[in-house]
Amino acid sequence: MKRLYLRKISALLMMCVLLITALAGCGKKAENVSDNAATEAPTATEEALTPTEAPAATEAAGPYYSADASVESVVTDAAGKGMVGNWGLGNEYEIQALLTKYNQPTTYLSQAFDMDGFDDDSILLASAMTYNELGLVKNSYDGGYGYGDGVKYIDMNDEGVAMLEDNIFTTGKFAKENPETVKAFIYASMKGWAYACANPDEAAQIVYKYGSSVSADHQAYMAGEVKKLVETDMTGAAVTNYGNMDDTAMQQTLDLAKKYIKLDDSAAADKLQTLTLDDIRDTSFFTAAAASDGKFTPEKKDVSIQLKWLPQAQFMGYYVALDKGYYSEAGLNVKIVPGGGDIGETTAVYTGQVDFGVTWVSNLIAAKAGGMDLVEVTQVYQRSGLVLVYKINK
Amino acid sequence: MKKLRSKFNRQTITTILYPVLFGVLIAVLWQTQLLHKIIGADTFTLPLPKRIFGIITDNWSNILINVRATVIVALGGLVLGSLFGYLLAIVATVFPKWGSGGLTIASAFNAIPIIAIAPILNNLTKDFSKDPNIRSMFAKMLVVMITCTVSMSINSYRGFTELKPFSLDLMESYAAKKTAIFFKLRVPNSIPYVFTALRISVPACVISALVSEYFAEYVIGVGRQIRENIVLAQYATAWAYIAIACGIGIVMYVILLIVEGVLLKGRR
Repeated sequence: MKRLYLRKISALLMMCVLLITALAGCGKKAENVSDNAATEAPTATEEALTPTEAPAATEAAGPYYSADASVESVVTDAAGKGMVGNWGLGNEYEIQALLTKYNQPTTYLSQAFDMDGFDDDSILLASAMTYNELGLVKNSYDGGYGYGDGVKYIDMNDEGVAMLEDNIFTTGKFAKENPETVKAFIYASMKGWAYACANPDEAAQIVYKYGSSVSADHQAYMAGEVKKLVETDMTGAAVTNYGNMDDTAMQQTLDLAKKYIKLDDSAAADKLQTLTLDDIRDTSFFTAAAASDGKFTPEKKDVSIQLKWLPQAQFMGYYVALDKGYYSEAGLNVKIVPGGGDIGETTAVYTGQVDFGVTWVSNLIAAKAGGMDLVEVTQVYQRSGLVLVYKINK
Repeated sequence: MKKLRSKFNRQTITTILYPVLFGVLIAVLWQTQLLHKIIGADTFTLPLPKRIFGIITDNWSNILINVRATVIVALGGLVLGSLFGYLLAIVATVFPKWGSGGLTIASAFNAIPIIAIAPILNNLTKDFSKDPNIRSMFAKMLVVMITCTVSMSINSYRGFTELKPFSLDLMESYAAKKTAIFFKLRVPNSIPYVFTALRISVPACVISALVSEYFAEYVIGVGRQIRENIVLAQYATAWAYIAIACGIGIVMYVILLIVEGVLLKGRR
């Protein structure tokens, strides 16, 4: 019995020793690794990052940027240091367009789905959605970083590199076979969005009720910001026709997509360059839904919609339409399928796992170029919600 | 003798021929789209081999950059992890009372999923270097190292301790010192076990390198390309990188088998 006890203690001791040696091992390896990596670096970054001198104005008062620094000086400095962050995976095109606008290489750091990289200064110019990450950075509620006025941001809409984001899409085949279902779904969804924008606080509560990935406070903040994206276009003008597909904004999105979506598959890359607005969107369903009296005879009653991300106020219109019974009034039985992580909403819709999906127009264009028969039927967000946030010197 | 050799040859021929024939059969079924009918896929999610091969040849220089990054991480992690594992086994042999128990606990490290440790190590190595490429490569190597350490330490510990019957008694009857026993008996005895460990570690190091790239700060590597292309619905390109990833694993395994065959000739 005593021996067993002894053995247990010695095992514990051994574990401590192992841990310590493991940690010591980590330190020792440092030299090897940097050797390897140093030789790798020049080839890995094709577009060599040539460090540029930070503008004097930004360096004078502290480690960050002065409150009145120009967009160009901030972008040039951060890109020169190689510290511009984005999530990648199809979210990077607006950032690359902005970097190109200021003659910078289009490489960026891979940003995690939190703002820790921005917080610990490994990313100077971090991507953020106005309705999500920007709120977390500024506010000090649960999960927030509490920077308040200590940060400023660069708006893609102001810079002329905005691309359209959240829309509603389906497959060309589904739209052709179930036109009434598509119209009914658009009608009820946009009715939900209209209500949500008129009552953002209530909409936030409804979303929270249906299973939220974030706190109630953040949900309320998000609803307020999402409302702005639905009600304002890229030029800042008010939009009353919710869900309208504006040709100018759509064309700008397509043009930027053609320039910045890089596809290794030559067949897909060629197809991307030939795409026109008519290939990616069909306005007929939206026009018909807007003109209708709200009575539909859907061909398929049980439909589902795949969200691009976790349940949050970004998708409040759908949750409101479900909660207020707008979908059932239109003769539909709707199931909302949350996304998250690496769920490809385009693939889910294309393979028929779900009938509708919410995605960014650029992702739809990439999928279309890859050979998926997808078509946008409504454009919910009228302007880009993507910003680049940076800290300012106090 | 002659009969034996011909028998041996026939055996090696069949062991190579059958898998190759099976592979060719699958490739033919795949290209003729019969495979798609059997498993109910379409040519979009499962593109034809010809198209995949075309993408590989079109983007060869770009692919090489990613392959290089992945191989450096995999090999670096494999070497570091194996050396560290061997060292742990030596420590465990020198202190036999703690040794076996300690190694059992160490093997618990093997149960940590790569997906869980990769982002954590990413955050822990933020201060390592100012260059994101270097620090993210370091983080990736640590992930690979953790997966390679355990199999090496457990296997080589067995090699150090499970000696041939009476060989230890013989050495002791010669009044051999402990160091002599260690270098003349234990170390040579551990070599086949080292290769057993490597047979596990080599495929594992490629897999963990690919997965760690998913979460790395710096966008590079075969694994990262697979993820990007699948999310962007570029399945043909994703399949091209999957094929490359398989190639890396197979080539490294074959190299290991050849080295093992040369070094352990006549020992097995």
